[in-house]
Amino acid sequence: MNDIRIEVSGLHKSFGDLDVLRGIGFTTSRGTSTVLLGPSGSGKTTLLRSLNALDTPDRGVVRIDDVSVDFSALPPGKAGRAAAARLRSRSGMVFQSHNLFPHRTVLQNLTEGPVVAQKRPLEEVVGEARGLLDQVGLADKADSYPYQLSGGQQQRVGIARALALKPRVVLFDEPTSALDPELVGEVLAVIKDLATEGWTTVIVTHEIRFAERVADQVLFLDGGVIVEHGPPGQVIADPREERTRRFLRRVLDHG
Amino acid sequence: MLLLLLVIVVPAPAYAQQEQPPLVRVGTEGTYPPFSFHDPRTQELTGYDIEVVKAIGAKAGWRLEFVETQWDAIFPALDAQRVDLVANQVSRNPERAAKYGLSSTYTYSRGVIVRRTGDDRIKSVADLSGKTTAQSSTSNWAKVAREAGAKVEAVEGFAQAAALLQQGRVDAIVNDNIAVLDYLATTGSKDVEIAGDAGQAGSEQVLALRQADAALLSQANQAIDALKADGTLRGISQKYFKADVSVQDGGSADLSEGRGPRSTWDVLRSTAWPMFVGLVKVTVPLTALSFAIGLALALLVALARISPYRVLSGLARAFISVIRGTPLLLQLFIVFYGLPQIGLKFPPFTAAVIAFSLNVAGYAAEVIRSAILSVPRGQFEAASTIGFGYAQTLRRIVLPQAARTAVPPLSNTLLSLLKDTSLGSVVLLTELFRESQLAAAESNEFLALYSFAGLYYWVICVALSAAQKRLETRLNRYVIA
Repeated sequence: MNDIRIEVSGLHKSFGDLDVLRGIGFTTSRGTSTVLLGPSGSGKTTLLRSLNALDTPDRGVVRIDDVSVDFSALPPGKAGRAAAARLRSRSGMVFQSHNLFPHRTVLQNLTEGPVVAQKRPLEEVVGEARGLLDQVGLADKADSYPYQLSGGQQQRVGIARALALKPRVVLFDEPTSALDPELVGEVLAVIKDLATEGWTTVIVTHEIRFAERVADQVLFLDGGVIVEHGPPGQVIADPREERTRRFLRRVLDHG
Repeated sequence: MLLLLLVIVVPAPAYAQQEQPPLVRVGTEGTYPPFSFHDPRTQELTGYDIEVVKAIGAKAGWRLEFVETQWDAIFPALDAQRVDLVANQVSRNPERAAKYGLSSTYTYSRGVIVRRTGDDRIKSVADLSGKTTAQSSTSNWAKVAREAGAKVEAVEGFAQAAALLQQGRVDAIVNDNIAVLDYLATTGSKDVEIAGDAGQAGSEQVLALRQADAALLSQANQAIDALKADGTLRGISQKYFKADVSVQDGGSADLSEGRGPRSTWDVLRSTAWPMFVGLVKVTVPLTALSFAIGLALALLVALARISPYRVLSGLARAFISVIRGTPLLLQLFIVFYGLPQIGLKFPPFTAAVIAFSLNVAGYAAEVIRSAILSVPRGQFEAASTIGFGYAQTLRRIVLPQAARTAVPPLSNTLLSLLKDTSLGSVVLLTELFRESQLAAAESNEFLALYSFAGLYYWVICVALSAAQKRLETRLNRYVIA
């Protein structure tokens, strides 16, 4: 049980009349990579954003490490926001469109959270941040501004920014979807390294081949429920469900 | 005499019980030569009325403070307790006698009609019917003109009226014969002339006080009587008019040897410095302070406006709507003349800062709001995933980016504010524009003086625009290679 990093149960979310999540539940173990697959509109991005309360589920429980939030009983106002913030503090997030702070240098993008929000000493944080930049291959870009980088470099900075927070879990929301094809490889390589290093990750992606290589667990979503889950060798290579097969055929044909 | 005064003063409660001599604030135009004007050589406030009220103050044992404002604002200032006494050739009439405490007479004069030289249509009061005259709208002379059937154009002083007459924009002016003689002697103007008497038997000029200040009024009257008796008033009158206007039939005033005309260059040279002082001491601090406070308020209003709380955003919306939907001058008057009536009285500078900063807040709030909304949603989300709360997100992530969008329109607000502070001239502030008005009233050099004042404003605006450009470059450094 101690090895369970993320535990989700009974998650529901609707936007107006549209039920986006209809009773989602799963667990992930420490140090594993979970890939969320599914057609657009299946609810995978909403599920990911529910893990750090960027979207607030209507019902259900999310636990990451030591923080558990029951959205069915979320208090209104300040107490609710505090609970959401505590859950959020357990994860780092990599966005589809990187969302780097354009008015801060690369290094400042990394140190902002640890120094200002976590109130850790600047020198220590800067040292770690330089280490992370080195890890993603951008040690020489520390003093550049985001606009001076290529899309792939920007996304690698986005990953380093998430890691600088020392999160228990790293969430990736389609990290390569906004990139030119020739830049996808460098970003996926960094993410794969993280997985092998023992980070716990949850990744929304359309890169099936990548998912096959990196995932310990694949969740296939459709219509707001988990249709099929298991190791990639099963869900991707030998899917049981017709819906999964149809999806994979479509994606792989185009990929 | 002094002993007698003391005996009278002792029972008067409010002013006598203070150890210090009472402070009496005197309202006067400062732009009505030869009664109340600034000496072009020394810039000091002087004139017949000023010297008389100084003599009265000395006799009555007052400390005097002069407050200069345009005529139409003088009685509101008296009502709002911003001044305690008006010394500005106030003519006695029944309406004023009913509302104010009027002193003994210290000037006897007669009204005259002024016309463009040779304009034979206007010879007497009867000819004013259907014509247009230029007057201070609340003055006794305006009343005379209206009763004669004339349409009255409101002006801020005699010099302005004379300019309008000369330019053919009005047909005549009704005013005090002494003021007219002074104007003719000072300017050497041959364009206008006295057409005749304004019909009245003569008018009496008095000090005006609030009726409630009966003790102060009786001190003033005692002093006037004493100054008449000891010849002081006669002396002051002789100095200015070569006649004694402090008694009835004291001879015809003669101002032909008075202040002669001066060259435009001379007027500019002597006014440049006081205008600069008005700029540095009032215009610039008023602008800077109002802008700083206004921006802080604007940020709060903008945040309230975009907050999810209905009441907050409703209040912000209402505030913005009221500020943008009413004239700035009116807002200034409400703060300066209106609020004292419910017990909120501020000194002129403070009142102006309040009015101007609220005005800036109303306009800048919308600029800041749209600038905040122009920051992409992802920036708010990214900030929250690195653990930032609302305030940290705003200060460190959103506002620095919003600043880029907001600086150009906010610079416009600042430039407008700088120029709008000239409205401070109507709430007793001696700022740059007011200094040029004072000098123009004395010298009639409107074009030169107002152009010169404009030059000062323009130079500051050019400097501010340069600063804006530098700031924009700085804020753009992270988006432009």
